[in-house]
Amino acid sequence: MHEYSVTKSLVDLCNQEADKNNLNKIHKITLKIGRFTGFSPDSIKFYFDYLKPNTKCVDAKIIFKEVPIRIKCHDCKQESVLDEPLFLCPHCGKTDISVISGREFYVESIEGE
Amino acid sequence: MKKVEVFKPVLVSNKERARENRKFFDGMDSLVINIISSPGAGKTSIISKLVEHFKNKHTILIIEGDIKGDIDSSRLSKLKVDIVQINTLTECHLDAFMVAQVLPKIEKKYDLILVENVGNLVCPAEFEIGEDFKSAILSTPEGDDKPLKYPLLFHLAKVVVINKCDLLPYVNFDLKKAREAIKGENPKAHVFEVSAKTDEGLGELYRFLERKLDAKKKAKR
Repeated sequence: MHEYSVTKSLVDLCNQEADKNNLNKIHKITLKIGRFTGFSPDSIKFYFDYLKPNTKCVDAKIIFKEVPIRIKCHDCKQESVLDEPLFLCPHCGKTDISVISGREFYVESIEGE
Repeated sequence: MKKVEVFKPVLVSNKERARENRKFFDGMDSLVINIISSPGAGKTSIISKLVEHFKNKHTILIIEGDIKGDIDSSRLSKLKVDIVQINTLTECHLDAFMVAQVLPKIEKKYDLILVENVGNLVCPAEFEIGEDFKSAILSTPEGDDKPLKYPLLFHLAKVVVINKCDLLPYVNFDLKKAREAIKGENPKAHVFEVSAKTDEGLGELYRFLERKLDAKKKAKR
């Protein structure tokens, strides 16, 4: 669904970065993707194959690096990694927490020539 | 082979555009609410109630997002407030660029701008449009487990309206469970139990929004 426009932004961003850095072709895109985003790697791959012809990404593959959901409790001050986005501190059960990671969705690097 | 460190968000352009939109709205002292729910939860009905309540005291604009058509706009046009329609065509959500396209049509200051997003609990949560806050609407026939199944929206929504509470005796919806699920995603969410049909619970929502409208005006001074 919404991965179409997101993948379009991804391809545009990678092409811009390739232009800036004098790359003619991108071989590898490393994408950081937090577990608490609504984006599915499978859908991104699907749209990527559709969008990459006639761009510098035509031969590129995407490496997905997943980022876990990490929270910090303001009450007991402990940090924890959550399997699911349920925002309770697993140590003390309090809900006064901040999300430290898990919402990332960015291009870490591109490789090419 | 050359490696380039990029470290740029994929949606950077949407975020930047949302920031520009927010500047535009702040410049007009408008309180902007991004209203998100599944299809049929009652976005249009709640918006109608808000307009009826606030229109004598405040100027109101509705930004109506639909994949196709203007059924909701026609429904709302009876309320005699200004409406701008956005058709997203293939997209399942409004994004900051779609909203930016209609900004030139906004020719006067509005106190309250209600944005009715496309009916969908998933994608609209991910795209900021320049709103002050998101409001999720959850209706009782949908079930009390929705906050658990669509955590991102409920995590981000400052306001959660549980609509169709008049149907509670007939549907399998446990208010306590729903409140707990919402609290689990977002302990700071303001939750309102209402029925747009019987008006039950709407007073509390009106009072909350009245305070937000005041706060927005004061923030400018």
